[in-house]
Amino acid sequence: MELEIQNLTRTYEDKVALDISDLSIPSGSFIGIIGPNGAGKSTFVKLLAGIDPLSQGRVLYNRKKLHRKSEVYQKMTLIFQKPYLFRTSVFDNIAYPLKIRGEKPEVINEKVEKLLVDLGLESIRNQLGKTLSGGEAQKVALARALVFEPELLLLDEPTANIDPQSIMVMERVLRDFHQKNRPTIIMVTHNIQQAKRLSKEVLFIDEGKLIERGPTAKVLEHPKEGRTKNFIQWAGI
Amino acid sequence: MEQIIEGFKSALSLIASFDGELMSIVSLTLFVTIMATGISAVLSVPLGIFLGIKDFPLKSLVVRVLYTFMSLPPVIVGLFVFLLIARRGPLGGFGLLFTATAMIIAQILLVTPIITGIVYNGTLEKGRDIKDLGKTLGASRSQLLFLLIRELRIEIFAGIISGYGRAISEVGAVMIVGGNIQGHTRVMTTAIAMLRSMGDYEMAIALGLVLLALSFIINFALYHFQQKA
Repeated sequence: MELEIQNLTRTYEDKVALDISDLSIPSGSFIGIIGPNGAGKSTFVKLLAGIDPLSQGRVLYNRKKLHRKSEVYQKMTLIFQKPYLFRTSVFDNIAYPLKIRGEKPEVINEKVEKLLVDLGLESIRNQLGKTLSGGEAQKVALARALVFEPELLLLDEPTANIDPQSIMVMERVLRDFHQKNRPTIIMVTHNIQQAKRLSKEVLFIDEGKLIERGPTAKVLEHPKEGRTKNFIQWAGI
Repeated sequence: MEQIIEGFKSALSLIASFDGELMSIVSLTLFVTIMATGISAVLSVPLGIFLGIKDFPLKSLVVRVLYTFMSLPPVIVGLFVFLLIARRGPLGGFGLLFTATAMIIAQILLVTPIITGIVYNGTLEKGRDIKDLGKTLGASRSQLLFLLIRELRIEIFAGIISGYGRAISEVGAVMIVGGNIQGHTRVMTTAIAMLRSMGDYEMAIALGLVLLALSFIINFALYHFQQKA
């Protein structure tokens, strides 16, 4: 899915949380968004997901503006930093997006089973969401997002506070999904090494502004802007 | 003491024999309270969810009014409904005074704020998370509402049970608008109040026992549901 951002602003009361004048993201991109805490990264993906209203400007999805009944909602999703799992089993959590799209039970079974295997969740398929560890819960959230093969996948620090093994599994599944389906993926991450491992391009956002954009290796190793350089040094590269 | 023991014995025999008057009072009570709670639930659940997930001007005022209405004195509600449906009132032409319908209306006014308030509080905690998640997974508006109801079912059930508890134990409003007419608008609470003043303790105790049994069943169901969910 192609994204076009024009004069986008989000203010909370009088404070400007995000102010991006012009940004185009071609279909099939895998973009990492990095920046310090409070930079506006989460606000950015929430605006793109349509769950936070724009104060000004517009976002075009495949050259169409998003509105309440947009079909685009059927083709995109957002994985939150703290996943909410439904009060039901792991299997039913993952199956939910397919059920609301009216998929046949055999299709649902096949797709959910595949993701359960890919993410190593087979043994907990019948467990209730509330009984899972942080890593398991985030893997379920990832499976639930991928099961309907979205064209735009937004991730808001999906691997924050989870164990390294779960991070490895999630990164592998994400990479495979991107290679196979070529969706547009935009991932907010606090982990610069993760951005290096997964994304082809990075955006550095600070104080609500887009400071720098470019191929991941180039921006992380030879940043042009002073603020980017400081952040990367601070973040430990 | 002997009088109380004798009263209990007679009450139990009335219950065991399915005494006609007792059954008529119990069935009317169940009809009125279930209808009132059911209609209130249909109104309150979406309203409570809406209040919990939406921001709008004067919301804090609306919430304060709601909390005030949660503890409305039943006699005030009874008086208000009475004035509305009395022969010379604005709705007097419908002939609702001293009918079961009038009692249902009064109870709806009492129960609706209670269910709405409890659902609102339950929704505050995680309603927005559920709504945002449902939206990002592609749920339509009706699917979102259904999802919210499913995910908040414990809070909703607690609200409905609390509302029902209020309806079944309420006496002031139904007495004013129903009139406690035998075989027509006499419910358990109004009957107990009347029987006590007449000295008919057997029937009063029998009705009290049924009322207690119903309260126990309601609380048992709530506990069971909470444990299961």
